[in-house]
Formats: sequence, structure tokens, C-alpha cells
Amino acid sequence: MSKDFNFQVDGDKLEFTINTKIYSLETIYQAAYLFLDKVYIFLDGDPSKEIIVVMKIKDSPDNNSVDLEKIADEFHNELLNQLLRAKVNKSNAKIREYIVAQALYNAVPNEVDELLEEVEETKAENWQDDPMNIAKPWEGDKESN
Amino acid sequence: MEIKFNKEIYSLGAVKLAIKEFSELADIDIEQEQNYIRVKFIKVKEGDMAEMKDEFANYVLGLHS
Repeated sequence: MSKDFNFQVDGDKLEFTINTKIYSLETIYQAAYLFLDKVYIFLDGDPSKEIIVVMKIKDSPDNNSVDLEKIADEFHNELLNQLLRAKVNKSNAKIREYIVAQALYNAVPNEVDELLEEVEETKAENWQDDPMNIAKPWEGDKESN
Repeated sequence: MEIKFNKEIYSLGAVKLAIKEFSELADIDIEQEQNYIRVKFIKVKEGDMAEMKDEFANYVLGLHS
């Protein structure tokens, strides 16, 4: 199965290429991140065409039974997984933004509503008050002058 | 011992940050070429230089995720 992916094994290293027209560089980064504890990964190549991935097993006691080709197979599966995640992420972006905005809106007391409420209460209580004497007819003053 | 990071794949910022993080473990030099960032390991204060180099490359890659 691994031959389908054109792996090249060179001693303790394994090399293969990834078509960036299928998998973006971001997808490759995300997939690679999940394998950094098991293998050393180095990337090279032309991101507009293909990325060369070089994997090397970490020389640790826990990694004795690690099969590099198996990891490379898993890496390809992870690429698909990350690709799907990115697509779902993109298609749900608007809904996610809306949900977050709605949650934030409901969490923070709405200042405008509070002010409006305050104004309404003041109006209801003191609508007949005229502290600045605005309701006074001006015509009387005019006549006396 | 050196690593050549492709500038189109690895950001200069990530490489510089990694150098800063590894500064207590090794003396590291950086040079820029047209397409590559060349990182030279001059002296490793503790441990194996080859392993340090590989760990460094992994660290830089991890910063991109």
C-alpha cells in the first residue's frame, strides 16, 4: 500500500511528496504537527506545486517499534482529516460567527436598552415637570417689551 | 552542522523565535539567502548536535501550526 504514495526510504529517513493543489500548505502544517512527537519532519519543495516531506524516526526508547512507513500512511490519512476539518471550518464560519456574536450580545448587558429604559422611566415620572421653564408662553414677554 | 529552511515554507519570524528559545542550549547563527534561511549550529552546550538540529527543525515546524 505504501508504494501507492511513492515513498522513498533512505536509511532511517523516509521521503515523499504532497501535491499542494490537493492539500494546502496549512493542511500539511496541521497534519505534521500531530506527528512531531513521534518523528522528525522537515519540509521543502515548491508550495505552488508540491511539498517534499522528509520523516525521520526519533531515537527514543518509546519509538523502537515505530514503523516509519506506517506513520507516513497515517500522515496521509491525517492530511485528509485536516482537509475535511478546514472545509467544514470554512463552510461553518458564518454560523459560528453568528453564534459567538449572539452569545456575546446576550452575555453583556445592553447599555442602549438600559439607557432607553431609564429615559422612559424618567419620562413617565416627570413628564409634567418644566425645570428650564420651556413651557412658559413667550408671547406675554414680547408684549410687555 | 546546518539546516536550510525554505523561505516559502518556513517563516523568518518562526526561525528567529526558535533560535531565541534554543539559545540556552546551543550557539546558533542565522544567514539569509535568496530562497533559504540557513541556520548554523556552532556549539551545542548539552546533548547531541544532530538531535538538537532535528528537534530545532521540529520546533520551527510546530510554530507554523
